[in-house]
Amino acid sequence: MTIPIIQVSYVRLPTQKIEESARFATDMLGLQRNNAIGSDVMFRCDNFYHRICFAAGPQEHQTIGIELPDESHVEPARAALKAAGFPVRDATEDECKRRFIRQGLVTQDASGNVVDLVVRPSAAGRRYFPPRDAGITGFQGIAVRSTDVAKDLVFWTNVLGAKISDRVGDITYLRIDDRHHRIALYPSNRKGILEVAFDVESLDCIMQSNYFLRERQVKVVHGPGRETASHQIFVRFQGPDDCLFAYVCEMQDVKPGDRPRQFNTKPESLCVWGSECTDVPELALSSL
Amino acid sequence: MIELKEISYVRLGTPDLKMAEDFATAILGLEVGDRSKKSVYFRSDDKAHTLCYTEGSPEDQAVGFEIDSEEDLQAAASTLEALGHPVHLGTPSECSARMVKAFIGFKDPTGNSIELVVRPARSGKRYYPTRDIGITGFSHCGLFTTDPVRDEKFWTQVCNARVSDRIGDIALMRIHEIHHTIALAPGAKPGVQHINHQVKTNDDVLAAYYFLTDKHVPIMFGPGRHPTSGARFLYYTGPDGMLYEYSVGVDAIEDEATHRPRSFAFEPSSIDMWGSPRGGIANAPQ
Repeated sequence: MTIPIIQVSYVRLPTQKIEESARFATDMLGLQRNNAIGSDVMFRCDNFYHRICFAAGPQEHQTIGIELPDESHVEPARAALKAAGFPVRDATEDECKRRFIRQGLVTQDASGNVVDLVVRPSAAGRRYFPPRDAGITGFQGIAVRSTDVAKDLVFWTNVLGAKISDRVGDITYLRIDDRHHRIALYPSNRKGILEVAFDVESLDCIMQSNYFLRERQVKVVHGPGRETASHQIFVRFQGPDDCLFAYVCEMQDVKPGDRPRQFNTKPESLCVWGSECTDVPELALSSL
Repeated sequence: MIELKEISYVRLGTPDLKMAEDFATAILGLEVGDRSKKSVYFRSDDKAHTLCYTEGSPEDQAVGFEIDSEEDLQAAASTLEALGHPVHLGTPSECSARMVKAFIGFKDPTGNSIELVVRPARSGKRYYPTRDIGITGFSHCGLFTTDPVRDEKFWTQVCNARVSDRIGDIALMRIHEIHHTIALAPGAKPGVQHINHQVKTNDDVLAAYYFLTDKHVPIMFGPGRHPTSGARFLYYTGPDGMLYEYSVGVDAIEDEATHRPRSFAFEPSSIDMWGSPRGGIANAPQ
């Protein structure tokens, strides 16, 4: 019996460059700032109170927030994590306040990526009004660096209720709802959040942002392209820190009865159009 | 009024027929339909050919439009001669070189060589591309104009074209429901300004961008999207500097009776709503 999970709720991205990150989020990404606590800077892109939080701190404190269906799953989650050997503690009252959640467990995958299992993350009262016309319709999901994919899969698919949709080499796409994937694990020599992806309305928005970002010297590292396994159109670009951001659209759902496919480690397994990424080791397949 | 039914073909002279054939097949993705001593005929759809490269000068160009009958051809010839456009009646060997029953050749007001053809040949076999490009067919040409206002009058009053939209004074004109089959482009002298082939999907346009870049084919403009026709496009350079275009999703004008052309300002966002930077071309592509 796995612990059911609803969605990727938020990411916390500690940074030394809070001002620059905030400007990037507003001017480049097109996210809308929401009131945060203390020195945290929070951004929203849909009807949740926040999806990204920049906080003062070292990168090791990057955190992925995953929503549990309700409080009744907290104790079973704690027990399951303990039984599988993953560290787990309660989120403190201060942590809950800062994350705008009612309750949480703080744990880690096998690579050491910090994961908050949260209950009742805050919704936003007013609708999202973006600072620029990026066409964002919501939060898609994340890519995570894994130093041990097999062990991380114990965390995500044996303890938590994610399922494997497809693989490219050892890159593993995990779904938690109908969408092909919400969390993608990329083998790496270090942990961390590799990418945060936003849904946009259409190819028009992806292409407009592609040219918009390049004009402003934002580094587009991959794409525009169409991801082979998921069918999503993407453009991936560098943020002010280590984390990549992506605009995506047209990701397919997984049909019942579909079995995970194994793609080989070639650039065409990450993009059917022919784009290649050479600058990001986890995406530069020739190095795998 | 001369009733143009369909755009039929483009004929281009070239000093290097082998290079043109290599490009048209391996890069563009057309299929060789036929060849003669000095010409190669390329297919992109169910017509016997839509592009013909002939040994000769790149300045020797012609665009062929289909009209209904030889009676219409006679009437067109009279109309054009009365307006002061000398008309050449195609000889039998010229007709078979164009795979048509009959044709007349004349020059539009800028001096572009235009051919009106009757009964252009179709092929029994379907088009099979040389690479996985998704071409659905030859769609339209851009023509240079030395006077867009004068030339618009010619195409819309002497011929049956209708203006779908304008960018500045540049008219995009239709002869059936497809947004444009003739696109005028400002220029200093006559010539075909670009040759468009339609592809099936957005994926085909974007994949073409990476394929062409990989093969070091110069990308002149795009990938982008025309706000006028709605089409997603890519312009690239072929033999003798000819501008070729792939696009998908050219709008159809359904409301023929009531459609009013829109006026777009002559500026970059009127030609590409995605915002791609122009790749060093002197004349604005359509």
